[in-house]
Amino acid sequence: MASVIYNNVIKNFGNVEVIKNLNFEVKDKEFLVLVGPSGCGKTTALRMLAGLEEITAGEISIGDRVVNDVAPKDRDIAMVFQSYALYPHMSVFDNMAFGLKLRKTSKDEIKRRVNEAAEILDITHLLDRKPRQLSGGQRQRVAVGRAIVREPKVFLFDEPLSNLDAKLRVQMRAEISKLHQRLQTTFIYVTHDQTEAMTMASRIAVINKGILQQLDTPQMLYDHPNNLFVAGFIGSPSMNFFPAKLSVSGGKVMVDVDTFQVQVPDALAGPYKNMDGKKVVFGIRPENIHDPEFAPPNIHGEKVSAKVDVTELMGNETFLYLVNGKNIFIARVDPRSQKRVGDEVQVIFDMDKFHVFDVETEEAIR
Amino acid sequence: MTTLSTQKPSNPISRFFRWFFYRSRGDSPFKTILIHAALIIACVIAVYPVLRVVTISLRPNDTLLTTDLRIIPENATLDNYKEVLFGSPEKNRKSDFFLWIWNSISIVAVTSVISVILASISAYAFSRFKFPGRSAGLVFLLTTQMIPAGMLLLPLFIMIAKLKMINTPLGLLIAYAVTAVPLTIWTLKGYYDTIPVDLEEAALIDGANRFTVFTNIILPLSTPALAIAFLFSFMGGWSEYLVARVVLQKNESFTWPLGIFTYAQQFTVSWGQFAAASVLIAIPVMALFLYSSKWLISGLTLGSVKG
Amino acid sequence: MENENTFRRYLPTVLWIAALTAVYFTLNTLISPYADGITLNGKIVSEHVKELGGFLLGIFGSIALIEIYIYQMFFRTPKDLVSKIVTRTLQVIVAIAMVMVIATFLETTDLFRMGDNPIGNFFRSPITGFTNLKDTLISSGIATKDSATAVAGVFVSLLLLVVFAFIHFTSVPRNSRYGLAYLLILPAFLGVLFLIIYPFLFEIKLAFSNASLGTQATKNAQYGLQYGWANLVALFTGSVAKDAKFFEVLWRTILWTVINVTFHVAGGMGLAILLHRPMKLQGVYRTLLIFPWAIPATIAAMALRNEFDSRYGLFNILLGNLNTWLTNVSHGTASIIGIGNMFAWLAAHIGPVSWKQDPFWAFVSILISNIWLGIPFMSVIILGGLQSISQEYYEAAEIDGASKWQQFRNITIPLLRPVLTPAIVLGVVWTFNKFDIIYLITQGGPQEKTDILVSSMYKAAFSFYRYGFTAMFALVIFAILFLFTIFYLRITGGLKSATE
Ligand SMILES: Nc1ncnc2c1ncn2[C@@H]1O[C@H](COP(=O)(O)OP(=O)(O)OP(=O)(O)O)[C@@H](O)[C@H]1O
Ligand SMILES: [Mg+2]
Repeated sequence: MASVIYNNVIKNFGNVEVIKNLNFEVKDKEFLVLVGPSGCGKTTALRMLAGLEEITAGEISIGDRVVNDVAPKDRDIAMVFQSYALYPHMSVFDNMAFGLKLRKTSKDEIKRRVNEAAEILDITHLLDRKPRQLSGGQRQRVAVGRAIVREPKVFLFDEPLSNLDAKLRVQMRAEISKLHQRLQTTFIYVTHDQTEAMTMASRIAVINKGILQQLDTPQMLYDHPNNLFVAGFIGSPSMNFFPAKLSVSGGKVMVDVDTFQVQVPDALAGPYKNMDGKKVVFGIRPENIHDPEFAPPNIHGEKVSAKVDVTELMGNETFLYLVNGKNIFIARVDPRSQKRVGDEVQVIFDMDKFHVFDVETEEAIR
Repeated sequence: MTTLSTQKPSNPISRFFRWFFYRSRGDSPFKTILIHAALIIACVIAVYPVLRVVTISLRPNDTLLTTDLRIIPENATLDNYKEVLFGSPEKNRKSDFFLWIWNSISIVAVTSVISVILASISAYAFSRFKFPGRSAGLVFLLTTQMIPAGMLLLPLFIMIAKLKMINTPLGLLIAYAVTAVPLTIWTLKGYYDTIPVDLEEAALIDGANRFTVFTNIILPLSTPALAIAFLFSFMGGWSEYLVARVVLQKNESFTWPLGIFTYAQQFTVSWGQFAAASVLIAIPVMALFLYSSKWLISGLTLGSVKG
Repeated sequence: MENENTFRRYLPTVLWIAALTAVYFTLNTLISPYADGITLNGKIVSEHVKELGGFLLGIFGSIALIEIYIYQMFFRTPKDLVSKIVTRTLQVIVAIAMVMVIATFLETTDLFRMGDNPIGNFFRSPITGFTNLKDTLISSGIATKDSATAVAGVFVSLLLLVVFAFIHFTSVPRNSRYGLAYLLILPAFLGVLFLIIYPFLFEIKLAFSNASLGTQATKNAQYGLQYGWANLVALFTGSVAKDAKFFEVLWRTILWTVINVTFHVAGGMGLAILLHRPMKLQGVYRTLLIFPWAIPATIAAMALRNEFDSRYGLFNILLGNLNTWLTNVSHGTASIIGIGNMFAWLAAHIGPVSWKQDPFWAFVSILISNIWLGIPFMSVIILGGLQSISQEYYEAAEIDGASKWQQFRNITIPLLRPVLTPAIVLGVVWTFNKFDIIYLITQGGPQEKTDILVSSMYKAAFSFYRYGFTAMFALVIFAILFLFTIFYLRITGGLKSATE
């Protein structure tokens, strides 16, 4: 059981700066998900923690110990690889027992722990097989099993589910969450799939281009993204963005999107009062755009007219692809909505749930 | 096409010809027969000279010189084999056959062991580490293959002579190792490159150090490649004649290629014994070769595709 | 369950031991009656084992000592100033001793002479000391004459180990980025240095000498540029071995290489294409077709040499039979004007040839032999290449309307290139240098008319003992091959892909 601290961590490959000054703390027993687009440096961040990659500058500590110069085997961590990295020449049992054998654990103890892990993961019947005789999902379980028998302080996962089919992925997601609750250990989990991040994490660290963008609980990230990148990255379908200008007149704050204007509710207008004429990006999530017929009561709704370009009926909800001037945006409306392609419609923006970002810094203004 | 297939040939002869010469998918029987004929001829060319050796070995001594082409000769006898293996008390001659084989085996096996051990270790470094001089080293190893084996023979010979190793197994061992090591490094490096680095990293996290990774993960996974490398360097030295002839000059230090050449050199050319000795040596080697050819071939193509 | 497992685990071992014992006893009972006729005996075997084992032990022991030395350079750093000074001093002393041993070794093998002066004696002192140590050991009765080297070796190793232990205990570990890599390649590198670089340097030196049998090899040889020049002149104007001239042999070598490689590739390609289709008996064909490769080359060469015998060899028997047949046919068809004459003409021209006396046929005989030997290897390589080409390309091409020939030209050949190019280049280099077949079949005869460069060189060295000349000859051959390689690398864009 231990916390993990990244302190001003930098990583260069040759001249390329892949990780730029990473600073954060993973609390004890936390399930932290590192998420970000492909190539942003998540794997590199994880591998530095595992000791598989040298740290160019800065410090990483596990518990109270700085581990920069500690060999991987002495860091008391376990890692599940994307490729699973099961030893092809060993049986499942030996794969799981390998780490314990190297640590000179007694035979009985090895047996006990392997069997226990196998039971948790429901792979007892596979213990005598070789990895190539297993299906993808079973290999994944073995890889997890190999990590848990070690009873490490920190578990590392590098996109462990990306080789599984959609259904299995959902199932394993739940199982890993369950495992976390059961083991009560620090989990650090890398993925580029934001759904995975949202469903499993206690907290999420969003990384882009080697820089930590925001670290918060899933709900906070979703409701209060710090910047344009996080706002766009978290949520599916992603947030709608409009280039806009603020205009303040007589205490009322308006967001001016050229072809339409919406008013900011007075309760939220505070931060914008002295920003008249400022160029911003206005953002609103698809589910906060409603069909007037089914709009919830008691919201600060603002009417915007648009033309329906495409509709996607999902059964439990409907996506409307709408066009207004040069802007295309998505609304996630009630399935009973009767809007069809080509209709000129009015939709309602729920102005209690909008976001405004600075054009230059891309930071949220609030 | 369509008109052809709708037109039903009426008489059975033309139908037969169509069936025999023309197929839209796969080979027609005519083509199949041609291919098999060509392959059978090729096989006869490949195998017949080898069988002739067997034939000659079975001939009784008085009919050695014959223009007979049969594979099993008249009055076939195993006398030649007996004389090769156990000498002939009548002629008061002892057999050196086992001695030659032993000389060959001991020299070649030790060469192969040394070169496989050295190569497996350094190939690992070449495959897994980036260090200054790496590619220069690899290219250098490849260029040594361009040096004619015969070219270094003279300096090696003088060197071996000065070290007083002429007529000893050690001298030949040194000479053979020259060719074996660089090629083995290349073969093994090609194989190591195919083993995912993930496995090693997983083992490092599992608690292994570099050494245990090498012995517990890399070596077990590359046993086929190590076997191939061993076999290659073994085969390379096993039937070598020219270097051995220079380094070994005494009958009792001969390897078998030198040994059986003495049969062919004698004035009373002992063809029958030469053939018998050849068969005795070739059979186990060929059996091993044919048995392992699948791996040998995969090793070869791996190396050639990679390198 | 547990018991069954242990039983299962040890069963193979038990079976192996049983089988080996059985083989041993059968062999023993079979062979012991004849033991008198066999020269190999237990004494020889045990002597060999001792000799080779000692050699192995020596090699690996010295490698281990060197590795420890280098390891400490990379991975240990002295604790404090005093131990730093002591450690560095010790390391420098060991390094100097090493250099002195190497220098003495080079002198022993006659690369240079240090002479009988104080400096020379100083450089020789470690080895002299070692010899003295051996003598003391023998005289003091600690070791016998046979074991003296081993015991002295152990002595020296122990001394070094003490030094290393001292360094170890006065130092702390440190990290090294490349240390491990260098430690790993070191043994092989030392081997290559000793077995390739050193002989190569030695050869260059030899090329500028008049070493020959008359000078007792290098013992009384003179060195100097003028000797190198003389060797060069002799090479290009004189005879390379006894009769043949350089350019004549060079031309023949090129012919030998080109014809061989062409036939190997063409034949290999033909067989590979025939084999590369699903059909019955494929496995049988494959096995039979690699026979020439599987049979040890020495045996094959000697067997073929017999087959080129003018009376009893296979080739002349076949040609003789053919001749008889043609003669008979020509008699039978004598009445039919054109055909009868034709057969008569054929009968007059096709018949046994003198493989050994006629230079042309002698050359043909070694060509036939080498082509026969080389085709299976090439066909196996090409077959491997063919099998790596996905069938989908052909299906796509067929849909595009490509004929079989167009498919071969536009798919097979380009996709085979990565396999074919290195195979051909290595084939050229190997064939250029391959003369065991020649040596065993014709010995270069008649009158050196079937010699190629390398076999002439071999003869110059080991039949005519013209050492300095041979060394120069070897350098020229190397230069030719080197130019070829550079040329090839230019064309193919280097070795980048291979070393990335
Ligand atoms: N060994 C290396 N040498 C040079 N560059 C590297 C190396 N490993 C990774 N990189 C670069 O570092 C960047 C970050 O790589 P990393 O593997 O951490 O991305 P990631 O966030 O895990 O992406 P993905 O989601 O695709 O796995 C990439 O641009 C990659 O090209
Ligand atoms: Mg990654």
